[in-house]
Amino acid sequence: MDQNTPPPLGEHLRSPRLRSAMLVQQEVLYAAREFLRGAGFVELLPPLVGPVTDPGGRGAKALDVDYYGQPYKLMTSAILYKQASLKGFPRLFYIAPNVRVEPPETAGTGRHLVEFHQIDVELAGGTRQDAQEVAAGLLTHVVEHVWTAVPHLLRELGREELDFAELRQGKFDALTHAEAVARLAAHGHPQSPDAEIDWAGEKVLSLEADRPFFVNDYPKGSRGFYDREDPERPGVLRNFDLIAHGGYGELVSGSERESRYAAIVTRMRESGENPAKYAWYLELAREGIEPSAGFGMGLQRLVRFLTGLDALWQVSAYPKLPGVIAP
Amino acid sequence: MSGLRADGFPEEAVRARARAGTAEVFPPAGEYGAALFGAAPAPGVPDALDELRLVPPVFMPRRLERLIDLGREPSYEDVDLGTGIGGFTSRLPLYLSAFGSTRAGSGDLGVAAARQAARLGIPMVIGENMVPVHGYGSSSALLERVASYAGELPDGVGGVVVQQSTEDADSEVWNLLYSDPGSRPLRDSGRLGFELKAGQGAKPGLGGMTVVGAAEAERLGGRFAVRDLLGDPDGRLLRCATPGTFTEEIVRQQLRFMRNNFPLARTWVKFHPGRDIARAAATAWAAGADAVTVDGAEGGTGWAPRVFLEAAGLPLGECLRRVGSPAGDLLASGRMWEGGRAVRALALGATAVGLGRAALLAVDEDPESGLVRLVEAIALEVRLLVSALGKYRPADLSPEDLWSPRTPAPGPAPLPVPEPS
Repeated sequence: MDQNTPPPLGEHLRSPRLRSAMLVQQEVLYAAREFLRGAGFVELLPPLVGPVTDPGGRGAKALDVDYYGQPYKLMTSAILYKQASLKGFPRLFYIAPNVRVEPPETAGTGRHLVEFHQIDVELAGGTRQDAQEVAAGLLTHVVEHVWTAVPHLLRELGREELDFAELRQGKFDALTHAEAVARLAAHGHPQSPDAEIDWAGEKVLSLEADRPFFVNDYPKGSRGFYDREDPERPGVLRNFDLIAHGGYGELVSGSERESRYAAIVTRMRESGENPAKYAWYLELAREGIEPSAGFGMGLQRLVRFLTGLDALWQVSAYPKLPGVIAP
Repeated sequence: MSGLRADGFPEEAVRARARAGTAEVFPPAGEYGAALFGAAPAPGVPDALDELRLVPPVFMPRRLERLIDLGREPSYEDVDLGTGIGGFTSRLPLYLSAFGSTRAGSGDLGVAAARQAARLGIPMVIGENMVPVHGYGSSSALLERVASYAGELPDGVGGVVVQQSTEDADSEVWNLLYSDPGSRPLRDSGRLGFELKAGQGAKPGLGGMTVVGAAEAERLGGRFAVRDLLGDPDGRLLRCATPGTFTEEIVRQQLRFMRNNFPLARTWVKFHPGRDIARAAATAWAAGADAVTVDGAEGGTGWAPRVFLEAAGLPLGECLRRVGSPAGDLLASGRMWEGGRAVRALALGATAVGLGRAALLAVDEDPESGLVRLVEAIALEVRLLVSALGKYRPADLSPEDLWSPRTPAPGPAPLPVPEPS
């Protein structure tokens, strides 16, 4: 079957492969909650609509909702609410549903769905390193649990335990965005030093790795206004991605957050946003938002990484591919 | 009134303000949509650009080059006007400027201008605030203009550039357009661009302004400041957009964001004629802008406070002088309508010049072919002038082709007369 085209929904829901993926997914969710609650994080349920959402990037759009005559958005991510929630919940997480109307040309990446979920984590007073330690711990714990709880499912899907050996020992690599750009250039892959690593480039790096790795220090202009700029190195963000090895690409995006009011407003302008839209968030920021760090781990991307399936739609019960009209 | 007089003082203007207050700050509200505005030079006094004379030399080494190329004497018809403009291929060093959301520019005239610009194979810029004011959808003013243009555009030339202002950002105009199936052929053939609008010539430092009726005022009230300042007996109100806040870093980062989020689109930026225009342009080019548009104080508009038309902003000629030798594509607009002014701007470093009011008047004269004829006339004048300067491509023009009566160039030392052989 063409990996780019899901079958009709009924057929998809009946497929043994989807059943295996869903059984893996529920183990992932179980293990993620177990790990995070064990580390003192409180699970909150995220909002679905609001006057603004994460402005996003790379051409992904938010869906509009008519909310009693007000133009509201479906959440593309709950980042702003995560920061706000720190006031009462210094360590919190969501299993957050997100809707991003991705550009149709991303339908073939195998890595984009319009509807997806994130394991969304935030910790007050945290640094980037703190967030990376939680992300690495979470990933290690989840992988360990799934290989312990349902190894037969993974083997039936063609996964080999050996491919996860380094990861299960907690081994992660790290490089900077600038180093990633240079490595890609050495492969003959043109990658803008001012932009996110493009999907093809990410795959190149992911394929040559034998364990997950962090990419640190993205340039300003490639990410949202809430990623904190390094005060020592203007133009460099205190953020990261966590990329899976084996060609599976990005699993996590995270950063230290911008929490100072004036810096947030200025960064909004730098990303072309109208600060007036973010009135509720800026009001909180004026009162004082806790400095924090956090990340979002893509649930479907994580399940795909574990199951080794080709495309994200194969690990979603109700897949919606960019640009494809589906129930 | 007591009959008090103040000879030599603008008595009438003061009395008018005493009667009508803020309404006197603006042109009469009834003219909105029926008249186009812009700075009017003092009678008989040319502006900073028009006062320059085009000065053909006697000796023309480039004509000799062309003669050798052709194997015959070149004529004005051998001038090649094909020009790369901000990442697009244009048949002429001309483009259609943004008309904004004003009534005069966003209706049928805008569509007629779009069709003719496409036939001419020149790029077209679509103004800000189209979406928050007119909405988005298959029948919207924005998409209608894009479709009209794309429908008549020959392969391999032209391009559409869409502006976004602060209020547009709320409507995410670029995002909507970038992924719209209707604009995909333009995007995928490299003929879609986005212009960051940082200002305009007619009212530097201010955002867009229009005059709206009561019903429209209610609809737009949530997004724009709508104020009763015009004293209009028919109840029309002033709608103001914000100009947006820019610093060097904001311009740099916004351009990066555009390039990062819309990699297939060209990236343009438009500045008002600010005193720091050279630094602004250099910042934009360094951040990867495919084109920088400078709209001189002579630039046209659908609506502006009188004092801005009369007193604010640098003239286009001075902007070009300050920018000097441009580090990227430089687009110039402001009172362009004939070949002489266009060639002067090109000689001062512009890559191309924009037609705004002239284009609207031309399509108003003849919606079918008015703009085509106007542009044919301009193109002929440009060919004649460029060839007279001994050059055969607009890019070869330079400040040496101009003479200013204010600052006469120091003449070279007299040459020794050749010895009779």
